[in-house]
Amino acid sequence: MPTDAAAIASARASGDAPILRMQAINKWYGDYHALRDIDLVVDAGERIVVCGPSGSGKSTLVRTVNLLEPFEQGRVQVCGIDVAADAITRAARLAVNRRVGMVFQQFNLFPHMSVLANLTVGPVFGRGVRRAEAHELAMHYLARVGLTDHAQKRPAELSGGQQQRVAIARALCTRPQLVLFDEPTAALDPEMVNEVLQTMESLAADGMTMIVVTHEMGFARRVADRVVFMDQGQIIEIAKPDDFFERPQSRRLASFLSRILTH
Amino acid sequence: MTTHFVRDAPIDARVAPAAAIAWPRRWHRAWFASPAMSALSLLLLALFAFACVRFFDWAIVRAHWLGQSSAACPGSDGACWAFVISRWKPWLVGNYPLAQIGRAWTCFGAFALFWIWVVRRPPAARPGPVLLGFVLLPIAFLLLLIGGGPLSFVAPTQIGGLLLTLVVTLATFATALPIGLCIALGRRSEWPLVRALCGLFVEGMRAVPLLAVLFIAATLLPMFLPRGIDVDLFSRAVIAFALFNAAMAAEVFRGGLQAIGRGQIEAATTVGLSRFATLRLIVLPQAIRAVVPALVNIMIAVVKETTLLSVIGVNDLLGAVEIGAKSPDWVGEANILTSGYVFLALAYLAVCHGLSRYSRRLELSS
Repeated sequence: MPTDAAAIASARASGDAPILRMQAINKWYGDYHALRDIDLVVDAGERIVVCGPSGSGKSTLVRTVNLLEPFEQGRVQVCGIDVAADAITRAARLAVNRRVGMVFQQFNLFPHMSVLANLTVGPVFGRGVRRAEAHELAMHYLARVGLTDHAQKRPAELSGGQQQRVAIARALCTRPQLVLFDEPTAALDPEMVNEVLQTMESLAADGMTMIVVTHEMGFARRVADRVVFMDQGQIIEIAKPDDFFERPQSRRLASFLSRILTH
Repeated sequence: MTTHFVRDAPIDARVAPAAAIAWPRRWHRAWFASPAMSALSLLLLALFAFACVRFFDWAIVRAHWLGQSSAACPGSDGACWAFVISRWKPWLVGNYPLAQIGRAWTCFGAFALFWIWVVRRPPAARPGPVLLGFVLLPIAFLLLLIGGGPLSFVAPTQIGGLLLTLVVTLATFATALPIGLCIALGRRSEWPLVRALCGLFVEGMRAVPLLAVLFIAATLLPMFLPRGIDVDLFSRAVIAFALFNAAMAAEVFRGGLQAIGRGQIEAATTVGLSRFATLRLIVLPQAIRAVVPALVNIMIAVVKETTLLSVIGVNDLLGAVEIGAKSPDWVGEANILTSGYVFLALAYLAVCHGLSRYSRRLELSS
């Protein structure tokens, strides 16, 4: 595993190299082959939406990007850090996570801390940012997600949509080069889905590189540069949104779309 | 029939009715719902009343309050509180020298003030300062009580009675909690040897009765220590207590650590926190808060366990009763010993009931 400095140097040397390159990733849960020969390249500034039936490996895929899930074969090159399957150490995971942000389905805010502390704990204790600076950054991103007035509240005092917006701000506070979203609206009441999607859309408009696992097909149409369809641990089809929804090439995607778009 | 309903004026919120059922009927329903229930209620009430009257008669009406020897308590129909009152010193402080007793009062007073501060804090407040107090107080108490330097030296074995219960409970708590936390973390270690040793310690301590641990500490431990190093009985007892209760605390902490979801640790990782920072900032604050009521329950157990100390010859409250009943002035009446035990039970009841109420309040608030 390269050191931080070496990783940054190699990222600079490669110029506009892709921000993420997954090569022949294979992962098993026991005997179950969860990811099969995954190859995916994401350029800086790209917005990728990953969809597919439940159990198809979408979440597992994004969780291998930041090494939350170890994999048995293949290699991930992300933000200039190159990690092969046999080199997934705690140090590698930490190095990757200091460049990649993540938003979870269940928010996973820290319930014993104020909203503001949720945002500053990563920069202050993870990256050694000065407290005042982290505070300023946190207030900036809270304003971005429209929650400045809630800085001193505990997460439990907020609605689900507000909590997820806090989680997005928390991910941004670590100044990530890539943000992963793992079904960010799946745990929300319907009337709160839009506020979260709008926050994500404004982030996309700013040019943030994003990989989003979601069932929100409207979001995929509006925002995605490319849509990835997965089934049974494999990438079945990757296409631009228009082609993806109007001209699916594989039968499995066509039948998936016919099932989710007719109601 | 309407198929399309539209409300045109909103309904204002109203206050809930005070009580749906008046209290005499509620009371009647709870106690006399059926003939069998009525009979049972009356029977239990009668038994309770009978027991109360008998106890009141024995403990108050026929009791003997003052006197310096068993001559003050003739017969066995009333409690002999004279035994308790005239021997207040062994009860409270054991053999602690009378000339230095102000140091003992200071400890009692300091703890009383500390405890008032603890119970008056809002239950949701941070547990950190309280836990710190429980660690610092016993150190301060032992330094003050044993003395040395400007204060005259008092052998720890002279501490007895309620003072001993207080000091041993606090000292046990202060040592058992940090050790227990380390062991609980050790059981989750990535290093198999550490995991195995911590597991072995906990399982071993849980499988051995405390009394056996105490005897081992009292008799066997000196054989393992190098020549010339002599640990007095008091310290040996505290070490045994600390190790035994560390195993109990480790199990409590383990439960608390397990209650922290994987999502919390993953979220901490994704904001760039190291494993140690995650433990310190995310996992431990939540885990410790979750187990505070259970830790108070361990404290209740420790308070009661101090009675075992009399078995190895340390002068605790129980020891004070037994030694008192053997002294020439008080020997004779079985009633004297009974009165001592009843007083002992009431004293423990008061302390432990207070602790358990506190624990209940913490549980309800979380």
